[in-house]
Amino acid sequence: MSEFTTADKIAAYLGGGLVVFGVVGIGVLEIVWGSPHPVSSEGQIEHGALIPLEIRSYIIIVGLVIWAGYAVYKVVATSPDPGPTGTA
Amino acid sequence: MATSIETRLLGRNVSFRVSGPWLAYWLVTLRLAVGWWFLHAGLDKFLAWPFDAGWFVGGAAAGTSLGPLMGPFSDGVGLAVVNVMIPLGQTLIGLGVIVGGLTRLAAFFGALLMAFFYFVNGETGGWAHGLVTGELLGLLIFAMVATLGAGRVLGVDAYLQRLSLFSGDSKLRWLIG
Repeated sequence: MSEFTTADKIAAYLGGGLVVFGVVGIGVLEIVWGSPHPVSSEGQIEHGALIPLEIRSYIIIVGLVIWAGYAVYKVVATSPDPGPTGTA
Repeated sequence: MATSIETRLLGRNVSFRVSGPWLAYWLVTLRLAVGWWFLHAGLDKFLAWPFDAGWFVGGAAAGTSLGPLMGPFSDGVGLAVVNVMIPLGQTLIGLGVIVGGLTRLAAFFGALLMAFFYFVNGETGGWAHGLVTGELLGLLIFAMVATLGAGRVLGVDAYLQRLSLFSGDSKLRWLIG
């Protein structure tokens, strides 16, 4: 049975968790208690939002940076399993 | 022909069967769609040359969360480099993903480009109907294509992986899956 390593867990749970929290979690909070969308179609920030747009963006950005950092870490610091990957 | 997946996720045992042919089918289909999306975007800019990203890098991005990162590329040499790298990058990423060559590398940079488009376009009006936009879905598809090494299905990576350069524990193998 294949399982996540510690690095995998950080990328999957912390990185993915921040992306999902920023997009979905805060989205649910906003639609119930805040503003259903963070900007107008003209790009004007909706100030009725519970979580300022900038903070919400940075939460998602940190999640994506963790994902990207994990990808770079895998290439730089680890070696692939030497077994076959498939056949052409 | 089904494949049995057995693993652990969020502390729970997870076991399910996946149809091998349908998994392979969808990996190729997604690769073709998202690859053509980028290849078309890149070629379109070359066909309408010159391309000027100043409105995006220097205009729209200013004041967004990624503005400080993109500011140095808003004019001069930085902008000249971006004006070439965006269409060239989109073309190479699209080509790599469509033919399935160095797919992980191509998809990684595809996701990186999508992150810039997602935040800049989103914060300047694209999020008027919520934060799940085509750009976020594109980013996630690139991430999935990279994670699953989709180029090994009817792609050039299926042949590359037989070369000694990309086999065994060679780090280059990370670039294909």
